[in-house]
Order: sequence, then C-alpha cells, then structure tokens
Amino acid sequence: MLNRSPFNSAAAFKFTLLVFVICFASTSKPVESAERNQPGKVTSLQLQVQTSSENESTQMLHLRGADSRQQLLVTAKFDTGEVRDFTRQVSYESSPSGIVQIDKSGRATPVADGTATITAKSKDGLLATISVTVEQSGKVTPVNFPNQIVPIFTKTGCNAGGCHGKSSGQNGFRLSLLGFEPTEDYEHLVKEARGRRLFPAAPDRSLLLLKATGTMPHGGGKRLEPDSDDYKLLVRWIRQGMPYGKTNDATIARIEVFPKERTMTPDGEQQLVVMAHYTDSSTEDVTRSALYEPNDKDMAKADATGLVKVFEQPGDVAVMIRYQAQVAVFRATVPLGAMVENLPTPRNFIDELVFKKLKIVGMPPSELCDDSTFLRRVSVDISGRLPTPEEAKRFLNDTDPAKRDKWISSLVESPQYADYFANKWGALLRNRRTAPTQTRGTYAFYSWIRDGLLVNKSYDKFVSEILTASGEIRQNPPVAWYRQVNNPNAELEDTGQLFLGMRLQCAQCHHHPFEKWSQQDYYGLAAFFTQVGRKPGGQPGEEIIYHKRGLATATNKKTQRPVKPAGLGAAPSNLSPDDDPRQALADWITSKDNPYFARSLVNRYWKHFFNRGLVDPEDDMRETNPPTNPELLDALQKNFIESGFDLKNLVRTICESQIYQLSSVPNQFNKIDKQNFSRYYPKRLTAEVLFDAVNQTTKSESSFDGLPRGTRAVALPDNSFNASSYFLTVFGRPDSSSSCECERSQDASLAQSLHLLNAKEIQEKLAKDDGRAALLATDNLRNDDEKIRELYYRVYSREPKEKELALATGYIHKRTDGKDDKAELTVAKRQAYEDIIWALINTKEFLFNH
Amino acid sequence: MLTIYGRKSRFCDGISRRNFLKIGALGLGGLTLPQLLQAEANSGIRRSHKAVIMIYLPGGPPHQDMFDLKMDAPSEIRGEFKPIKTNVSGIQICEHLPRMAAMMDKLIPIRSISDATDDHTDFMCMTGRSKRNQPPGSWPSFGSIVAKVQGQTHPAIPSYIGLEPKMQHHPYNAAGPGFLGVAHRSFKLEGEGKPDMVLNGITLDRLADRKALLAGFDQFRRDVDASGLMAGLDSFNEQAFGMMTSSKLLEALDFQREDKRTIACYGKGDAKPHGDAAPMLMEQFLVARRLVEAGARCVTVAFGFWDYHGNNHKLAREDLPMLDQGVTALVEDLHQRGLDKDVSVVVWGEFGRTPTINKDAGRDHWPRVSCALLACGGMKTGQVIGATDRLGGEPAERPVLFGEVFATLYHNLGIDVNRVTITDLSGRPQYLVEGGCQPMKELI
Repeated sequence: MLNRSPFNSAAAFKFTLLVFVICFASTSKPVESAERNQPGKVTSLQLQVQTSSENESTQMLHLRGADSRQQLLVTAKFDTGEVRDFTRQVSYESSPSGIVQIDKSGRATPVADGTATITAKSKDGLLATISVTVEQSGKVTPVNFPNQIVPIFTKTGCNAGGCHGKSSGQNGFRLSLLGFEPTEDYEHLVKEARGRRLFPAAPDRSLLLLKATGTMPHGGGKRLEPDSDDYKLLVRWIRQGMPYGKTNDATIARIEVFPKERTMTPDGEQQLVVMAHYTDSSTEDVTRSALYEPNDKDMAKADATGLVKVFEQPGDVAVMIRYQAQVAVFRATVPLGAMVENLPTPRNFIDELVFKKLKIVGMPPSELCDDSTFLRRVSVDISGRLPTPEEAKRFLNDTDPAKRDKWISSLVESPQYADYFANKWGALLRNRRTAPTQTRGTYAFYSWIRDGLLVNKSYDKFVSEILTASGEIRQNPPVAWYRQVNNPNAELEDTGQLFLGMRLQCAQCHHHPFEKWSQQDYYGLAAFFTQVGRKPGGQPGEEIIYHKRGLATATNKKTQRPVKPAGLGAAPSNLSPDDDPRQALADWITSKDNPYFARSLVNRYWKHFFNRGLVDPEDDMRETNPPTNPELLDALQKNFIESGFDLKNLVRTICESQIYQLSSVPNQFNKIDKQNFSRYYPKRLTAEVLFDAVNQTTKSESSFDGLPRGTRAVALPDNSFNASSYFLTVFGRPDSSSSCECERSQDASLAQSLHLLNAKEIQEKLAKDDGRAALLATDNLRNDDEKIRELYYRVYSREPKEKELALATGYIHKRTDGKDDKAELTVAKRQAYEDIIWALINTKEFLFNH
Repeated sequence: MLTIYGRKSRFCDGISRRNFLKIGALGLGGLTLPQLLQAEANSGIRRSHKAVIMIYLPGGPPHQDMFDLKMDAPSEIRGEFKPIKTNVSGIQICEHLPRMAAMMDKLIPIRSISDATDDHTDFMCMTGRSKRNQPPGSWPSFGSIVAKVQGQTHPAIPSYIGLEPKMQHHPYNAAGPGFLGVAHRSFKLEGEGKPDMVLNGITLDRLADRKALLAGFDQFRRDVDASGLMAGLDSFNEQAFGMMTSSKLLEALDFQREDKRTIACYGKGDAKPHGDAAPMLMEQFLVARRLVEAGARCVTVAFGFWDYHGNNHKLAREDLPMLDQGVTALVEDLHQRGLDKDVSVVVWGEFGRTPTINKDAGRDHWPRVSCALLACGGMKTGQVIGATDRLGGEPAERPVLFGEVFATLYHNLGIDVNRVTITDLSGRPQYLVEGGCQPMKELI
C-alpha cells in the first residue's frame, strides 16, 4: 500500500492547505469570455488540497511514491460573494521546477524528491500558492491488486454488466461485476486458461493489454491508451509478478468528494476531487479512477476526470461517484437568480421550507390557484372523484376564509378517501387475483386495507400487521400479502421497496452498485422471512401462514454461509427458535428511530400529491439519489413520526400548505421547473379516476362482474376487473404484480386516444336515453346557457367563460336551426349536447388534474 | 455518374422493369447531401429505417419436415417427404418448399434452436425469454422494447404493430409489453381496440363538427405541463382523427393499393382461423411490408396452426406451400424494393416436433430442438446454421439460443445488446437478451 500517497496516520490528516492571496490588482479589465458571464470582479483565489472533511486546513501537499497524484482545486471568490471553480481557468507553475508537474487540469504528479511551491495564476493576475514536498519519487512499490488494478477494469468498463462483468463473462473471459469480487478476478486473470492472459516475461505482450489497447482484435474495442497511467500500472503489476497484495494490506473504508456541494451558474463547471480513505487511515486521490454519474442527465454531465458541467436548467442535480464498493455524492444547485419576493404567508413548515429553497434557487413561485382549481384538484387527489356541480357552487359561494381547510377535512373523513387510497395500496400490496379461488382473499384483504384507512389506523400498525400476519385469510386478511409475495427474497425486496424506499434486488447477487448495501445486508433482511410456514387453508387457493419454529437464518448466496436476521444497518437480532422473526423485523421497521420507514412514506405521499417525489422515483431513496429539498423531507418525516404515523394528518398537512395550492400556470421564470415545486405539476387522471369521471359526466353507470351496478372504478377490490374493461387496461390501471408505483402506466398512447375519441363504449355513454345529453336536451325548464353552465361545473368545477358559452350555444343553434319537425329537433338537440360533452371530456382541462 | 435506383418492379413472372435516375456525370462530388436526398425522394426512395417482421407459427412446426429432413433415419422417423436441392449447393430442404429452395441464397435456415420450452405460447418467440423467474410485470416483447428504445419514425405510424388476431388458445397471445407498460403494447389491428378505429355510430360530418368543437373548447394552456405529456396527447389525438377519417396507417393497411401482380405473388390466403390459432393470410406479409415501409419498426404476424399431433404430413402438405409462397414473396419483395438490408425477417414456432411419428400419423411436442428461418436484414444469407443428430432429435452442431437470434435482430436494428438496458419495475437495469447471448457471428 506504499504507493498510495500516504499521509502518515494522524499527522497526515492535517493537510488541507488553504492559501488565500488577496490581490489588489489594479487591472479592472473584464475576464475573458471563457469564464462566461462572470458576476463581477474576482477578489481572491484559493488553491486547496483537502483530503478529509475532518480537518480544515493543511500546511502543504505531500506526494510520496512514484504513483502518488493529487488533483488540486482552485476556487475564485468574487466581489459579489459568489464562488466559482477556477481549477481549469488558471495556469500552474512550480518553483523550483523539476520537483512536481501540474497539468492543465490541476493534477500534480511527482517528478523528483524535493520541496517546491506551486503557484496558480488567473488570467487577470491573481495568485494562489501551496507548498509541496515530494518524497520517494523513484520508489516503485508492489502493486495491490484489489486497490489498484481492479478499479482500472471498472473505469474502463471491462467489468460492466454488458461485457466481461456479466455472470457468463464475455468470450470466455469473466470478471466480477464492477469488481466486487477481486479474489475471483485474480483467479480468472492470472490462473485461468493456463495463464495465457498475462505474460510476465514481456508484460507488453500480455493478451490482456493487447486486447485492451486494441492491438489485437477485441470485441469491446480499444479501452486503454498505451501511454496512460493505467496502462503503465498494469505493465508494472505484471512485471512484478502479478502480486495480489498482502493479507494485512489496508482495504478501502470510504470515499469522500470535495466539494460536497456547490452553487453553480448555468453552464458552469466544477472540478471534483475524490479521496479514498483506507483502513490504515491513509488516503489517496482517486479522482481519475472513480466513476461519475449525474442523476438527471438533462441537467448535468460529468467526464472521466471528475469535471462536472451543468447545463442551463435551474434546480438541483446530484452526481453519484463510485469507487470500488463505495459511493459518494456531489450536489450542485443551479440558481435561476430571479428575485423571490411577495411570497404568500406560509401556512406551515412545508411552505417555509419550499419558499426557502425557492429563494436559494431564485425562482418565484406561481400565484395561488383559484377556488375552482383548488376544489377540483384536491377532490381528485384525496378522494379520486370530481366535485358535483352542487358542491362546486356551494364552495365557490362560500365566504368562509377557512373553507379550503374545511373541504380538505371533509374529504379526508369521507369514505371516498378510503376507497381511493385503498386502490393505491391494494396495487402496491399486490392484492392480485389470478384465479377465481382467490376471490375471498382479495376481497378480504381489500376490505382490511380500506377499513384501516377509513378509521385511520396508524401507519406503523398497518405495516406491522401485514408483516407479522399469521393464520387464515378469513380471520386475518393481511396474510393475503404472503400469497403473492411468496418467498423470502420477494418478501424482503417488497418490504425494502414498499416500506423502506430501498430497491435491494441488486444485492441478491452482488454488492449493490449504487448503494452501500452488500449481499450480507440483503440476506440479513431475508433471514427474517425464513421461518414463514405455509400450509393449505380452508379452501383451494388459500393458505395458512404460521411461524415455523426454528432459528431464522438465510444463506448468503455468494459465501454460502448462514446470515442472522438484521435490519439494514442494524445489529443482528438474537432470536430464539420460538420468536417469530417477522415480529422483530416489524419492530425494527416501525420504530420511531428507523431512518427509512417514515421517510419513505412521506416521500411516497408527497409524490401522490405533487406528481414528483422529493426523492424521485419515490421508492429509490438511495444515498446517491438525494432529495431535492432535504430539509423538507426531514421535516415531513419528523412531523409524521410525531403525529404517531397519522396518515390523514399527513394528507391534511400537505393539502393545507400554500405550496399545494399554487397554480399550475407558470410565470416567466418557472416554466421549466420540474423539481422545486414552484407551481403545481399537472398530472393525467388515472385510469380509474378518468373512468369514473366520464361516467359521472355522462350520467352512466359502470357494471363490473359480481359488483353492484355503479361501483366506481376507484373502489374496485382487485386487479381482476382490468381483464373485462378495455378502458381500464388501455389507460394503464396496474395489475398489482409489483410493489412499484411505476407499474401504473401514465404514458399516452394512440390506443387511448382512439378509445376516448371514438369507442363504442364512450359513444353509448354519450347517447344513452337516460344519459346526461338526453336529460339536458329535454329539460325545458332551463335555457341552454344554464345547462352549459351546469356542464362546466360538472367537468371543470367552474363557470364557463363568455367565449366558451358562446361556442357551446352557437353549436346548439347550428345543429338545431331550421329544424321545424319536433322529433327532428329533439334528436338534433340531443346530438348537439352529446357532441359538447364529447368535446369537453376530451379536453386537456378535463383529462388532467391541474 | 451516380445512378440511384428507383422502384424496381420485377414480378413473379421474372421480368424486371427497373426505372432509374441518372444524375449528372460527376459522381457524388457534384451533389450535395440535400440534393441527394431530394433525388432519392424524387425517385421514391426514403432514407430507410431498420425494421423486423416476425412471423410466428403457433403450435410448433415440424422442423424435420421443413429444413432438416433425415433420410438416414428409420421410416417411422423419416416420414414421407423427400428433400430437394436448393440454389445453394449442399443445402437441401423439403420438397414442399420449392420456392424457398429456389431462393436459398437469400435465406438462413437454423436447424438447432436448443432452448425451447414445452409450452404452447408465443412467449419465447416474442420475448426470447423463458417464462420462469420473470421480473415483476413480466418480460416485454421484442417489439415493445424496440418501441421504447427507438420510438416512432413517423408520428402517424406506431412503432410496434401486431397483425395477429386474438387467438383462441390464450397463451398464443401471452407476450405483451411486460414491465414497459401498456403504452408500449403492440398496436393491434385486431382485437379489443379494433372497433375504435372505425367510426362508431357517427358520420364523418359529425366527426368534423366534433373536432372543430373540441379545438374550440380545448384552450387549456399547454405550458402548464413541462413533461411533454400534453403535447404527446395532442399528437396521438391528431393521429387518431387521421385514422378515423383516412390516414397513412390505413393506407398502409390496404394492400389492395398494391400492384395486382405483387398481390398475386403473395398468393391467396385463408382468413378463417386454423385450429385454435391463427388464419393463414399471406396477404398479411404484404401488409407487414407496407407498414414497415410506412415507418413501423416491428410488425408481428401469426400464421396458421402447426400443432400436428395427427396427420402430420397431410397437414404439412397443405400448409407448407402457403408458407412457402408467402415467405418467398415477402423476401423477394423486400429485395426488389431495396429493403433487404433494412428489414429482417424471422419465421419460427415455439418448439419442434417429435422425431418418432405417433399412432395418429402425427408428431408431438419436442422442445429439445426446433427450427427457424431468417432472411434479409443485411445478414449473410445462403447458409444453414447448426445441425441435429441422425434422428433430428438433439442439436449436434452449433446449438442456437432464442436469445442469440434476438441479439442478432437487435443488432440489425442498430441496438447494441451489450450497452442498452431497460429498467424493470424494481429499478434494475435489464439487458435486452438473456446473459451471454450475442449477435450470431456467422450472420453479421
């Protein structure tokens, strides 16, 4: 391990060198265009080497050993207070020369032993310096395979899942996926195929290098330049006789990135420095060996040298950094920079924290929405239905300043709230019917879910009862969960994704590539489900779930060793054979201290209302996918826990906020906003809500097999009704086959358009003898104006505009004028109303919740 | 001098009538790209996209009675068909496939598909995956993946179109969009959505009135939606109106617009479903070609019913000539129209059939080996892939996996199976084919 730049133990940590050179340069000429729209004058330049966040400043840079490298960071401060990366905007010099070499990207490489001063000079003459000591520059040390060679395969993509990293390898040569199993890689590289891959007598002629450099035909093309450091290191390793490293060599403990966060300007750049920390407290610059991946590729890109470039879109973007099995995140905020003032008065902590964020981003929010929009929006979001015209009129005429809060409360307390959220949870809990014998179970489970929501069972209790469910479906409906989720792996994976917001599948076969979770963590969680006993239930298609007495252990697929049950990041549980391990799991999950449980739920509900999670996708809350507003997520989590996991309270808290009540209409600044919640993001009505809304508007009734006529689609007990309803299928009602919300398809398609515009089903609803159009056409007590008003209240909860009224009545005239025959006139009038309703249900204003 | 070949019109009478266009005498140097494209457009050639036509033979066709006759086997295995020579020396196929024999240089029979499962379903032929150990939501069809990865070439033409009807035996329709979701389902011209494509109880005039009315009402600001969904809806609505009135898609579907002689080449099919499976409409092969030309990337057809548990040879004697005529007409047509490099064709079923002929003169299910036929797509044609043992019961050389054929088809579309992934419902990136499956080196 000698050839990493080792900062000897504790002393080595005192290293962050901060040199401020305040320059009173008289030259006021503007900086060159390369630096783009700079905010003002640079007042200071800072040259920085930081190796650990635990120490603030260092005296000098030490480079020890021929392989040591250090990426420098140069930061400019402007008179406006802004801070920008200047690492690649300055020229570097070292004096005396010949000790250290610094390339244009600010990377220092040792040349000869000695001490020197590195000076960074900006174009307008500001300077910053740092001293450097080079030791043992000629010393060639034994290469360590896991720490130095394997990362090369990861960086060059050799061990990616599409190439040699897949389980079957590629053309006979196999590497472990992303280098998670260095011992295996060593076996394959050095010993397999009679050692033909490496040639110590002439390292350059090794098959590995000939292929990687494209000298010999290679399906993966050229992956390595012969003059690169990586290539030289590989050659040296082969020349040294392919050492693996000693058993007591340090292994990687964690990585750290500098800076961790930065406010950047649109189109700005930031050089990152990634430091690896080893178990012997040494550190190493691995900036060029790490992999970089932005979580939003429309917002930023990162190259192999650790240079991040953000684009024009304002907001937050995270760059995930991976090195060996470790991950780190760099977060950039790209402010729009507009003035944010005259904000509505915050009503709760949500408003305060979103407004705070908007001020940082410099993005003024849209105005508050009007009463009609609010009423329709919140009714759909909480109860999955449109308000009736009577409700709409009453609400609009109500002068009570608290009317919005009151309406929210009445919705939350209505049975439709339970219907709508039971529909959501039923799909996620995979309440799926695939055979008629399962009907009793799916109905019972559905009722159990719905009843729990109706009486507002606390969320911890709800989850706990599912996880620990034992017995028969009839007596204890949540055992139905174990029918579809029917083996320890599926059980832990659903638990992870649904209740913890963690997608753990990857860790079944290898270390999670984007997370800290290993196979050990995976099987620790699986172990909780290993004692789930099953025996035939009272009728075919049903099972009795029970605790099978015995010690819960899972077998790690890789090591083939037993793993004790353990929560993620928690110590293994010591359970006796009589303890149902699921109880221990439920206790760990629903504990107030569990860092994931409440957090994932509030994020899931946030997404329900705002169409985008604070972490998105909502069930992918890994460390490397950070929230856009961490403070808000923390506060929601805290609030939810303090309320005693009260779901209705959460819904009320969200809906009562000003943020939820912002208009979706953008102002001149926030049109492109997709993550700061500066306005409401419209979402298409879901299949069920749309189906019900069309019925409500046309005054038709649904008819589902075995259910009372008029049962609303949002109140369907399970997935089986999709098969008989082309409408629900084509608009993407989920089949309850996954614990992911993403199973619900909200994409548009041609088949949907055709259906809503032209289906016989729709035409029949419009043309029914006792349908809305017929009723309106034959209603002689009101004039057309009033009837059109009613329709507008029905579909949009608002008054029609003059123009709209004129269009509609004009159309009725067009169809009916000149028709003297009474029968003919009746038909024409009815058709006119059919056409108007048809047009209204096909407008975007109807199809979207906005 | 640059010669851009126009639409060649060679018909099955063998006469070639080639119209071509000659531009200048300077060769490419004298022509800018826009001019070239214009010239192509004028001569009826578009810059072509890549596409795949998949012909599924439900029930599992008898491999040993089509491309792999076993004359050295005992008579209870051999059967009554004789092999004939093809226009590629050394390759022999069944006497009831004479047209294929005459164009073997344009075809690739695979004799050694080795990973079929004993399950009457289109699943393997559409997804290349086993039904076992599926991710939640199930594996998507090839066409759904292509639609997702490559999108549409033309706003009015869906990327993935299924011409097969809903077959009576449900598992023949098993494959779907899987975890990619319903929006990537094949656009079905038969089945539940079909009635939506013709006007339902209203006249064209009234539709026009409605459309105008909708345009008047639908003034909601589109800029409230930054996700593009509203714009997408508008575009689909536009397509839908086109389809209800008259449109590119409908035109493409109407093979009667084709030259009579071309139609005749494909032969007259049989529209009634065979067995519990599909009709035998060679006309659909022509429709598939028209759809691909119009912009579709993947068109699937189901053809006949091949589950010959009884009367194997009698049925094959009836069915093979229709397959023979339809497939050869399609391949010839693709070549004639210069689409042979762009459009891949695959013909296959879910498994092969038993070597031994049973008491009912039939052959039963035999997943241990099955066959496939590939053509066009720029592949190296005129060769046979793989071989079976003496009895036609086991792959003896070059066993081929379904996934390898799929990898080849993806390759032909320009999709790198080693790079492109799709995300399943658990957030796991999934490769498009089973691990280890690569485009077949012999073919590309």
